[in-house]
Amino acid sequence: MNALLLTLGFFLALAGDSLPMGPLYLALRPDFVALLLLYWAITSATELGLGVAWIIGLVQDVVDGGVLGAHAMAAAVMIFILYAGLGKVRNLPPWEQLFFIFILLLAERLVAWSWQIWGGPIAWNLALLLGPLTAALLWPVFVYLLDRIRHRLRNA
Amino acid sequence: MMPSLFFPRRLPQSVRLLALALLSVFLSVFTQGQGDLRSMALDAALPVQWFDSRTAALWDEVVGSLQSRAALETENARLRQALAAAQPLLLDRDILRSENRQLLALLDSFPQAPGRVMAARVVAENFTAGNQIITVDHGQNDGVFIGQAVLAAGGLAGQVVAVGTMTSQIALLSDLDSSVPAQSAENDQPLLVNGTGDPRELQIPFQARNTPLRAGERLVTSGLGGRYPPGLPIGTIQSIRRNGTQAFADILVHPAVALGRLNTVLLLWPQGQQQATKTP
Repeated sequence: MNALLLTLGFFLALAGDSLPMGPLYLALRPDFVALLLLYWAITSATELGLGVAWIIGLVQDVVDGGVLGAHAMAAAVMIFILYAGLGKVRNLPPWEQLFFIFILLLAERLVAWSWQIWGGPIAWNLALLLGPLTAALLWPVFVYLLDRIRHRLRNA
Repeated sequence: MMPSLFFPRRLPQSVRLLALALLSVFLSVFTQGQGDLRSMALDAALPVQWFDSRTAALWDEVVGSLQSRAALETENARLRQALAAAQPLLLDRDILRSENRQLLALLDSFPQAPGRVMAARVVAENFTAGNQIITVDHGQNDGVFIGQAVLAAGGLAGQVVAVGTMTSQIALLSDLDSSVPAQSAENDQPLLVNGTGDPRELQIPFQARNTPLRAGERLVTSGLGGRYPPGLPIGTIQSIRRNGTQAFADILVHPAVALGRLNTVLLLWPQGQQQATKTP
């Protein structure tokens, strides 16, 4: 993936994460940035550095207005788990990856969620589980679409 | 393809993760309560928010054009009916206001004008575990300030917590850090209304089990503390539960504003604070 495509992708993902679309969207919406980060880490030929994931998470924090460092830490943890424990997942077909994607995104959200404690009290609610769940269910579609786009651009 | 950014490759992943964790903690702790940093972050997020607001507007337009003519006509009829029903109340309001002005004049104080308002469009929702924050499209350039009261259809929505050049962020009443001095419309006992992290629910803390409050009572701002002008609707008491041996009652409040789905809010510039203290 080239840098321009990545920048554009992460811009759209960031926008999708704060889109004002009402309570239903808010509860169900997947964390697009984390999803894109996972796609990048899984499909890229070389290992995605933890530092890179951390920086992207930090950008997410800046846009979010929450505690700085929350998503940064969460992204680094997620990529760490992917490489340290779930390396084989990278070779599975997308629909078999679904469960692991759920686990990874849940870990990401748990870290990002609990990290907000630095900024004051936090609430626990169902959105914690729902977001990663919809994200995992969308994963095969997501992979298919992004593969298509990359293919199209490479051949053009 | 991607060079390692911070660390030489020979460092094990776990060591790198630990270093990043320390860096994150450092960042999280030392950036808390830095207003300038928050404003800068808001300005940095401007392109994303601009894109968000355009997308949301486009979405509204698509949904609007999909609505059939028949649906619009029924809605029109319903609105006309609601307007007709509200007409006598409006008349009442004028009478009450003039009466109120006379009474206040008797009390040697000036009538509190509601103040100037400015409509602002919600461009982004930033709901995290600890914060229920929305971003609107007015900022420093329009004179928005931190602590400013924000209204929406129905009553009080929240207050401004960060101001950027062209945008600002508003913590809703449901934010866990939010606490509003309130009173019941029926009696003038001072209360607090706190956020619960759930936009459909607020709560009143520290009320004894034998509290005189009743479900269905309407709550308004009391004006104590000076942040919010008095008399703004907050919500209605939904339920009062007295659990076992707990010293305090669990009181839930249904907010007057639909906090979960705000499109437009009103920024309020209260007037006459100096005048009110001046003796005639």
